[in-house]
This record gives sequence, C-alpha cells and structure tokens, in this order.
Amino acid sequence: MNDTINFINIEGLKFFGKVNASISHELKNILAIISETSGLLNDLTDLAKQGKDLKLSMFENCSASIAEDIQRGFTTIKQMNRFAHSVDIPIKEINLFETLELTINLSGFLSFASKVQINNSDQETKSILTCPFLLQNLIYQILIFTYESVGPDGDIHIRIDSKNNDGAHLIFSSPAQLTLKGFPTQKIQKTVDVLGVELNINESPHELDIWIPYVSNKIIVLAKELQNDSYTGNDKQD
Amino acid sequence: MANYNKIHLLMVDDEVKFLETITKRLKLKFFEITSATNGVDAIEAARKGRFDVAVIDLQMPGIDGAQVLEILKKNHKYLEVLILSGHATVESAVDCTKLGAFKILEKPCKFDKLVDAIKEAYERRLKKKFEHDQLRIKKIEALALGQSPLGILKELAQMDEAEK
Repeated sequence: MNDTINFINIEGLKFFGKVNASISHELKNILAIISETSGLLNDLTDLAKQGKDLKLSMFENCSASIAEDIQRGFTTIKQMNRFAHSVDIPIKEINLFETLELTINLSGFLSFASKVQINNSDQETKSILTCPFLLQNLIYQILIFTYESVGPDGDIHIRIDSKNNDGAHLIFSSPAQLTLKGFPTQKIQKTVDVLGVELNINESPHELDIWIPYVSNKIIVLAKELQNDSYTGNDKQD
Repeated sequence: MANYNKIHLLMVDDEVKFLETITKRLKLKFFEITSATNGVDAIEAARKGRFDVAVIDLQMPGIDGAQVLEILKKNHKYLEVLILSGHATVESAVDCTKLGAFKILEKPCKFDKLVDAIKEAYERRLKKKFEHDQLRIKKIEALALGQSPLGILKELAQMDEAEK
C-alpha cells in the first residue's frame, strides 16, 4: 500500500468516525425530543383524566412536534445513508452541488457549526471525476476551519462558479471576514495534493477559493493506484 | 423529607425544542425552572438567581457544558450539577465527575430517572448546606463565649469573606 492510499485510508477512517459520531449525537437529540414530547402528551392526558380543563391545541402541538421530529430523523438517516455510500466507488463522477450540500448538512450536526448559505450556485454544474469521499473530507475540513473562524453566530457563504470549461471554483466567504491564520493545515494541504485541486486565498474580496478541475491527472493516477491495490475495489450497494 | 416543590432548577441545552419540552414537563412536577440555551446565559442566570440544581448539556456552541460546570461549581458553593448529554463518553464522564458533577445522565433519559436524580441532587445540596450551617453555629457559639457583640460581628464578617 503506497503513502497516498495509506493517507486516504487513515484520514478517511477518522473522517468517517467523526461524521458518524455527530450523526449519532443528532439522532440521540431527536429521540430525546420525541421521548419527552410523548411523555408530555401522557402527562397532559393524565391531567385531563383528573378533570383538568386543557386546551385541545396542547395535545395537537405535541402530536405535530412528534411527527416533525420523526421527519427530521428520516432526513438525518437519509443523509447518513448517502454519506455511507460515498465510499462504495473510490473514483467516480459526481455533481459538485449535491456533494457540497450533503457535506454542509453533515457538518451542521457539529455543535459549533455556523450558518451556511449556498449563493448563486449553478446546480447543473458539470460532473467532476474525483474521489467523492476525499472531496467530502476536504470540504468538511474547510467548513470546520471557517466555522472556527467566524464562530457559531457567524455566516458562511459558499458559491460554485462553473463558467470555466476546465473546472469549477468553490468559493468560501463570510460577511464577518474569514480569519485564515494557520490555513491550510498540513492535513488540508495533503488532501488538496492528493485530489489534484488548488487552494487560493483571494485578498479583495477576502475569499477562500478551491479550484476543482473536471478531470485532473492526479485523479487518473490515483484511480490506477486504487485499482492495483488489493484492498480497494467496488462494493455492491445496499 | 425534603419539599421537592421548592426546587429551583436551571436547565441548560442548546437544543431549543428539547429544552422547551422538558421544561414544560418538569414544571408539571412543580419545580421552578429557568432555562438557558447557551453557557454564557446559564452563567448569567446563575449569577442573578438562586438555584438548587442545574441540568447541563455537554456539547454546546461557545462555552461547552464542562466549562459551564466548572464555573458554576466555582461560583456557587451549594449548587449541584447534573450532566444530561447525548455525547457523554467515559472520558467526559470522568472529567465532569472530577469537576464536581453530581451525576451524568445519557440522552435520551427516562423522565422519572431525571426527576429522581434532580431530587437526589437537591437532597445533597440541603445536606451540605445543613452541615455548613451546623458548623457555623458551632463557631458562633465558640466566639460568643469570649467576645463582645461587635467582636462577634467582625469575626462573622471575616468568616463570610473567607467563604467567598
């Protein structure tokens, strides 16, 4: 196993663990709300049985809240499933907007996540041949860096610029201005190198720009390396 | 037996919906409750009010639950703190216990278990306060034997200052 594949595997496992931990936390929160709301419904029923005059809307609100949180749970599980399947095929064509949206949702489970808006994005952006799991890992790491930069009350704006024929720009900015001290970390730089993307910090306006080619030579090399590696291959989807 | 209806509770959780629902349920148990959705508000509420027990989530934006626990225990001698979290690990449980948490409960937690833990924490608070008051009475009695009324007041003021 060469260094690059070793890096993908080790960092990938850490990333997978981190995302799963945050999803389990989110699911626990959802279950805790459902549990308490159903408990409240029981408490109210007991009071009604004892003759207390209660408004019907109190019962209806509980029931609506339970339905809402079950839906929130389904959405979370759906995202978890999409994320889990992103390791099925190591190199494949992806839609950048969908990958970005999923990664933002996954990072949103972190307690220190800021608000993220996707602005002016072309959802029909051309397909990108990449390692989907590693690209998610890179976007996730950058999101964490920007969350820590602007804080939980801050806003992060991201836009996809795909006017260029060779690739797309993923541009991060914030009305509060991003503090990019210590950026990129060694891990982010290594991930950038393996993916064959480019990182630029624009000064005016202050933005963080990831240039992602539609097809990069590094990805083609990586695809061959992964094909030759006995431990990686395509799994069946469940 | 302790009068649980008088428990003043501080509930801290960044999950607003959970906080609202559990607060409604606990109010039905006659507890008096103040809620906060972050650490800063919780510390400020504790400074302004008088609470017997605080129930705190661990993972919160800004100041996290462990830091809130540390500050509350430092500033409020008799306040008992319960940790209620969906993110508790063995390590965080050990850390919180070292910082003085009364109990660590995992979300989702059975409501009766939470209520029992709040009552136990309240009893411990009463016991600690009672023991402290007993000690203070003994000290005052000892002082009263050889001091003038003004001297007793001075000594009491010094005792209060030392406790702070």
